[in-house]
Amino acid sequence: MKTPYKPRVPRKFIGAYRPRIDAWEKAGGKVEFADDITLQSRFPGLLYAKVLRSPHAHARIKSLDASKAEKLPGVHAVLTYKDPEIAALKPTSAGWTDGVDTVSYEQMMWRHFRDRRVLGDHACWATDEVGAVVAAESEAIAEEALKLIAVDWEVLPFVLDPLEAMKPGAPVIHPEISPNNILPKDAVGGADVFVDKGDADKGFAQADVIVEGTSIHHNATQASLDNWCCLVDWKQDKLTVLSNSYEADQSRMHISQMLDLPIHKVRVISSYVGGQFGRGDTGDQPFFLFTAWLSKRTGRPVKFRHSRRESFHDSRQPAIYLGKVGAKKDGTITAMYFKSIGNSGAYADHTMFALKFAPTEITEVALAHIPNVRMESYGVYTNKLPACMMRGVGNSQFNLIFGHVVDMLAEKLKMDPIDLALKNFGHEWGSRPDQSLSEVLRSGAERIGWSQKRHAPGAGPAYDRVKKRGVGFSFHPAWHAEWQEARRGEIRIRITVNTDCTVLLDAPTVETGTGSNTCNVLGCAEALSFLGIGPEDILLPHKVDTETSLKDCVQTDSAVAYLQSEVIARAALEVKARILEKAAAHLKVDAGDLDIAEGRVFVAAAPDTGLAVKELLRLCVSLPIVVELGRPPNAEKTGVPYIANFAEVEVDTSTGAVQVLKLVVINDCGTVMFASGAESQQIGGQVMGVGEALTEE
Amino acid sequence: MAIRIKINGREHEFEVGRDITPTMTLSYLLREKLGYTGLKVACDEGACGACTVLMDGKAVLSCMQLAVQAQGHEIVTIEGLAKDDPLIRAFAQQCEAGYGTALQCGFCTPGFVMAAKGLLAENPQPSLPEVKEGLSGNICRCGCYAGIAQAVLRASKESAPEGGRP
Repeated sequence: MKTPYKPRVPRKFIGAYRPRIDAWEKAGGKVEFADDITLQSRFPGLLYAKVLRSPHAHARIKSLDASKAEKLPGVHAVLTYKDPEIAALKPTSAGWTDGVDTVSYEQMMWRHFRDRRVLGDHACWATDEVGAVVAAESEAIAEEALKLIAVDWEVLPFVLDPLEAMKPGAPVIHPEISPNNILPKDAVGGADVFVDKGDADKGFAQADVIVEGTSIHHNATQASLDNWCCLVDWKQDKLTVLSNSYEADQSRMHISQMLDLPIHKVRVISSYVGGQFGRGDTGDQPFFLFTAWLSKRTGRPVKFRHSRRESFHDSRQPAIYLGKVGAKKDGTITAMYFKSIGNSGAYADHTMFALKFAPTEITEVALAHIPNVRMESYGVYTNKLPACMMRGVGNSQFNLIFGHVVDMLAEKLKMDPIDLALKNFGHEWGSRPDQSLSEVLRSGAERIGWSQKRHAPGAGPAYDRVKKRGVGFSFHPAWHAEWQEARRGEIRIRITVNTDCTVLLDAPTVETGTGSNTCNVLGCAEALSFLGIGPEDILLPHKVDTETSLKDCVQTDSAVAYLQSEVIARAALEVKARILEKAAAHLKVDAGDLDIAEGRVFVAAAPDTGLAVKELLRLCVSLPIVVELGRPPNAEKTGVPYIANFAEVEVDTSTGAVQVLKLVVINDCGTVMFASGAESQQIGGQVMGVGEALTEE
Repeated sequence: MAIRIKINGREHEFEVGRDITPTMTLSYLLREKLGYTGLKVACDEGACGACTVLMDGKAVLSCMQLAVQAQGHEIVTIEGLAKDDPLIRAFAQQCEAGYGTALQCGFCTPGFVMAAKGLLAENPQPSLPEVKEGLSGNICRCGCYAGIAQAVLRASKESAPEGGRP
């Protein structure tokens, strides 16, 4: 990018190229992550937990003898699936970890798929945590103790491939939930055929050409560098958790309900998180609970953390897609059909979110003008790594087949796929061609050199005899507009203006690196700029503590910056009104006759009559001005912006090696609040995406 | 038997068996025993670079060194750098348009800063390919590689003597 971003509307702070507000602390290694704040030296008597992991892909524990482990010096407790406090725990799932809003056990998603037991006797994938957990004075002793636990396994037949798992006679993994491994209908996930608009069969009958393709999206893992970690200290009736979970309030709800404790007796502290990427959005959270029971049993703080190997416990939902498109000779699409089979792995987690929810949203915002659309999907249990959330939920999986069939259709119709896309795709209340889609495709085509470089498949020249080059694109509707976040409920923030006009901004969200905190400070400074202050006058605490913070707005859907800043902007208006009120009383004039600018409050008609806000606050208010405000996201439909990716790749036809020669990303991202951070999110997302596409499996 | 290690300018003496064990890694000693939490242990097998420290001025992976191997050597962690160290400043301030920031979550950053420290000690004016090669042992999962390279190039230019390679 050669031309820096320029805000359309001149602003003081919003849209700036500048360092992050936490840049100095992070660059100097001063910020503390969960593993840093839970050192043994800070918690005298700290014990470490290690959990037994299955060596088999599918097995049941027939019996277990932990007596030798219990006797190992340095071991303080062994809990097994037979201990009453463990056996009494309810089955759970990922349904309450998508912390869009804090939900209870009863309200959680995927109530039909509560397939996880806390330390059960049933191992559903190799390394599944089952049977027993140890608390010892060091991780090494805990590991040693695990080896002393004698387990009599009943090894069960296993299945790894979802197509095999769907066949009659395949090993059944969760018979109590599904007799054939296919996830049943669910209130959120819906039926197998989850989109059935118009009449797809009729639409295909009307088509002049039909193309059909398949794509396979593999498991990729979030691979946050900051391994999952928690410390639980359960003393008397009070339980405190320090962790790098990305949701504090939801974690508190989870722990309080699973352990049957009143909410105010559970305190969750979330410090900085070393990369989220969907990692925390998994059902693999029983470790909070068994660590808690170990703390209760031993009377000591207990720490559990994943090793790097254990961190590979969760992945992007893989999917096999079939896509079919029918169109008239002029490129008008008459019908679309998609069928996906997702390998859910050992636990359902958010499989249906990826396979059904994401394509449903895309249907609404990109396929709205296609008269006939059918989509069906099957999430299938296997004995593999569970699949869940990773950047973009199910979008990558769907966009892979989507881009593929659009290309195939264009090829068959001898059309430019850009023209085909513009002719057909757009959101339901927009016209075609969609303005945002037109602009991202036009701009991307220009920058990649589409008209010069594009050629029909196989028609391009060879480089170094064996290398071929090609350009292509995919596009995506950014479906997390504000109105799509309405289900979060109220977003709550608090602004405290001290008497010297410095500000404490309570806009809690667990700091995972996305840059939303910097956006919020810039937005707050902009909204309060009438006080004559800047970002350096605002303090935003990065640590979320359920005992002192408002409810945290969870880092999902890339939505936190705009959700919180909308409320901040409104709260700032209230701050202004309060100051005007005080000034009116002090100056003995009507508040309506006053104005504030650049830190000074004055009579609008006679600007010389007035005083500095700081002076006013010192004279009239001994307390800071505090405005707390909650507001649900605006449900008004505001439009859907598009993103387009263009790539030029070179393929060595003798080895299959692929090299990306050029990548162009055009994201219609609306008002940019923090330009440097927005660039980082784009670049970083592409780095992860290219890695996922080219190297990871 | 006592092991002597100079850490961030201070001499330490450790009794083997009491303070450190023969199998203890340097990263464990520094983090868990001494509280130098700037370095991170993310992979614990030499793959990610988050635990990078300087040993006698060279960047080393502290998870791949035994604590006893540091006997007689001088270790510097990020806590041992000056607060306004040119590399820390460059990583903190990178916001040149087109490259993004040099950090987001910040977990890998101290490792990158120390690896860059080692690189610039050997090659004070590296080219972009040399920066990429020099930092290829470090992973940034947030993907800030463009900003990181820019920060290192800037720090090297700022500390260049007059007439140095631009």
